[in-house]
Parts: sequence; C-alpha cells; structure tokens
Amino acid sequence: MKTFVQLIFQRYWNPYVVLLIAGILSALYFGLTSTVWAVTGEFTRLGGDLLKLFGVDISGWEYYDMVHLKGTTWSRPDGWIVWGMFIGALMMVLLSNNFKIRLPQQKRRYIQGLVGGVIAGFGARLALGCNLAAFFTGVPQFSFHSWIFIVATGVGTFFGAKLTKMRWWKGKPTLTRGAAKPTKVKKHVIQPYVGVAIAIVYLGLMIYFFATGQKLLGLGALFGLAFGILIERGQICFTSAFRDLFLVGRSVMAKAIIVGMAISSVLTVIIISVYDLTPITQIAALSTFVGGVLFGLGIVMASGCETGMMYRLMEGQVLFLPVFAGNIIGATFLAYAWDHLGVYDVLVKSGTKINILDSFGPVGAILATLAMLGVLYALTIYREKSYHRQLAMKRGVNQHAS
Amino acid sequence: MQANKEADFTLDLRGESCPYPVIYTLDALEGMNKGELLQVITDCPGSFRNVPEEAIAHGYTFAQDPIKNGQEFLFYIYA
Repeated sequence: MKTFVQLIFQRYWNPYVVLLIAGILSALYFGLTSTVWAVTGEFTRLGGDLLKLFGVDISGWEYYDMVHLKGTTWSRPDGWIVWGMFIGALMMVLLSNNFKIRLPQQKRRYIQGLVGGVIAGFGARLALGCNLAAFFTGVPQFSFHSWIFIVATGVGTFFGAKLTKMRWWKGKPTLTRGAAKPTKVKKHVIQPYVGVAIAIVYLGLMIYFFATGQKLLGLGALFGLAFGILIERGQICFTSAFRDLFLVGRSVMAKAIIVGMAISSVLTVIIISVYDLTPITQIAALSTFVGGVLFGLGIVMASGCETGMMYRLMEGQVLFLPVFAGNIIGATFLAYAWDHLGVYDVLVKSGTKINILDSFGPVGAILATLAMLGVLYALTIYREKSYHRQLAMKRGVNQHAS
Repeated sequence: MQANKEADFTLDLRGESCPYPVIYTLDALEGMNKGELLQVITDCPGSFRNVPEEAIAHGYTFAQDPIKNGQEFLFYIYA
C-alpha cells in the first residue's frame, strides 16, 4: 500500500502514459457528448459573464452568439470541464502535500505574466481554440485549422524563446557563495486530509448531477476532473513542448504530445465512423495563423498556456494569477474586437471550414494525420540532436581556446 | 540532509517558475570553474524533473541524489 501511494503521489507520472490516457479520454468524451475537451471558449464566456455583471450590454456581440453564451458557468458542461480541471489539479497537489505559496523573486514576472496572458488569450480565441481545441483535440477532429495553428504556434514560441533568453527579460538570479539552508519542513502534514475532503464533496456533486439527470454536466465534471488530475500528475506543459526545444534542446514533452494526438486521432476516426458523428471543424483562415503566432508568443512570455496555467495556480504559483486574469482579458477583448474592430472582416471572413475527413475520407484522413504527426516527431528529434551537436562543438572550441 | 561536500555556490530559486530554474541553473554552471559544486534550491514542480534531466543532458554530474525537502528540492551539481 505504501509503495502504491508513493507511486501515485510522491512522484510525477510519465508524460507519455499521461498523454496517452488523455488522448483516449478526449476521444471518449467526444463520443459521449459530441463536444471536445477545451477551455478557452469558456474563458471567453466567463469574460462575458463578468461584463454583464458590470452592466455592459453584450447582446449584440457576434462572438458571444457564436460561442453560445447562455446560463452561468455552473450550468455549462464546458464550465465544469474548467472547474473540474482546477479541482482535480488541486486535489492532486494537496494529496501529494505539494501546495506552497510560491512568490517569484523577480517582480518583472508579474508584468510578463499579465501581458503574455492577454496576448495568449487573444490569440487563442482569434484562432478559435488554444492548445486543446486547435491542437490536442483539434487534430483528432481532422479540422485543418489545427494544422495551421500548430505551425503558427511553433513560429510564435520560437520568437518567445528568443525573448526569454534576453538578459533584461530573464533577470539575474541570486548566486551566493557557500551553502544555504533549505526551508524547515513542517512536521504536521494536513494537506492530504484537505485533499480527501475536497474529493468527497466533489464526488457528491458528480453523483448529484447524474442522479438528477443532468448527464452533460456530470460528464463535464467527471472528465474535467480526470484531465486536471492528468495534467498535474504528468506536469503536462504545451508551452515547454515547443519552448524547451528551442531553449535547451529538450524534447520529451513534444514527443509525448505527438504520441497522445496520434492515439486520439485513431480512436476518434473509429468513433466517428462507427457512431456516424460529425467532427467539430473550425474556420481555417488568416486569423488561425495570426492567432497561433500570438498564442505561441504569449504562452512563452507568460511561462504557461491556458491549460498549464491551471495546475500551476493550484500548486500555489502566484505568478499564474495575473496570467489567468490576462487570459480572460485577452479572450474578452477578442470577443469585442471580432465585430466592433473589424477583426472578422479582415482576418476571418475569407476563410472556410476545412475538414480533411470530408476531403480524403476516413482512411486518407487518418493516414494524412499520422504522416503529419510523423513529420512533427522527426523535426522534434532533429532539433534536439542539432542543439546537442552545436553544444558539443561550442564546448570543443572553448577547450581549445583555454 | 547534509551534503557530502560543502557547496561552493548556492542558487536559491524558490518562487521562480519554469523555465527560469533550468535557464538559471545552466547559466550558473557554465559560469563556474570545473569541479566546483553548485547547490540549487527550487520549488517549481516542473523543475523537479527538468533541472536534473537537463543538467545531465548538458554534461554535468550530480554529487549526490536529489533531496526532497517538503515542497522543494535540493540539487547538488558539479560544474
């Protein structure tokens, strides 16, 4: 029992395993509800709820009609995906006794987080999805907009990584001589008990949803919880998948995400064929590319995307409060700019919904998707190898010089 | 709890979020003389994995196994 507990809570789970499960669950969630695992659409609605609370009339805003702003966040399945993710992540953090208020030493991080959060929130909604609906769950829906989005996010994170390396951006750490004392560890461990209490209350809530026939809310709450548990335990970070490849040649997260998407795509195409479902397709347009670049840049500036931000906030990383606020501000501003500032006319109108399932049929679509993911995987390995080759060469030159 | 050898330098990264623990650690190690010992104190959960893995990938060695100290980790790395 002790080793089982250690395995689950004392160490993080293998990201490949986690993303494999997440891929399977998101395909299943689509099969059960005909919607996908997504978060930023709900962030936009939260922004709309806030505007209404402050008396702003948003009835004429086209974007809110498009994302179906109805009821409250508690009566929307997408809302429960978001809150379920927060609660699932918080439960895991508490059960592993890992909650701590973590305040950045570099005060500039707060501003970087807010600005990055706004840019990422704006970009994600401009492209109609973040790293989920336009990426991890977008590719398995065979929506071509996610292909554009992946390339664009790569471009954005590349420039973000360049920015991160700049001295004025990263700041100088405090390197002191000699050894320093670590924080004194508290003897009384209470966090796991709080975690169990939250788990019991949440379980009751899910039972209530199913018992009262609110199946969609129950499923949202259940799958949200599962996704929250998974991303926290796997420390799943889409930002780092791209960024760390550019920064330090680190490839594990990128490869795990690609594997997860491949599994999810295969499962989804089977589910679509067997149950005759319609895949969710978003407009592919100039806005997808522009939005993707902004999203990529924003998530690196903020040190986390809309998904990674959620479990980091639950770990007590205070930096992610301004990031969360920024995400909602950015998404809400996009909803305003959509028709009021002509974003739709300039960037979106000329686009069309392209689904490669319609274009190539199920076999062609899955083969094309797997080929695209294969190319991404190869590029990832190439980048990792070339980084380490350059590093070895640099070291060799330095040794010769000294 | 005690390191086998007294650290020459300490990088206190408590509170900093990813990717800065990795960047700072690699920067610090690069600036030190070979054989000097760096102590890293970090509490960003992402860094519990990416700091040791990237230090090794960049050719540095560990003086001892990482130490879990409540909600933070201690690393002892030779430059």
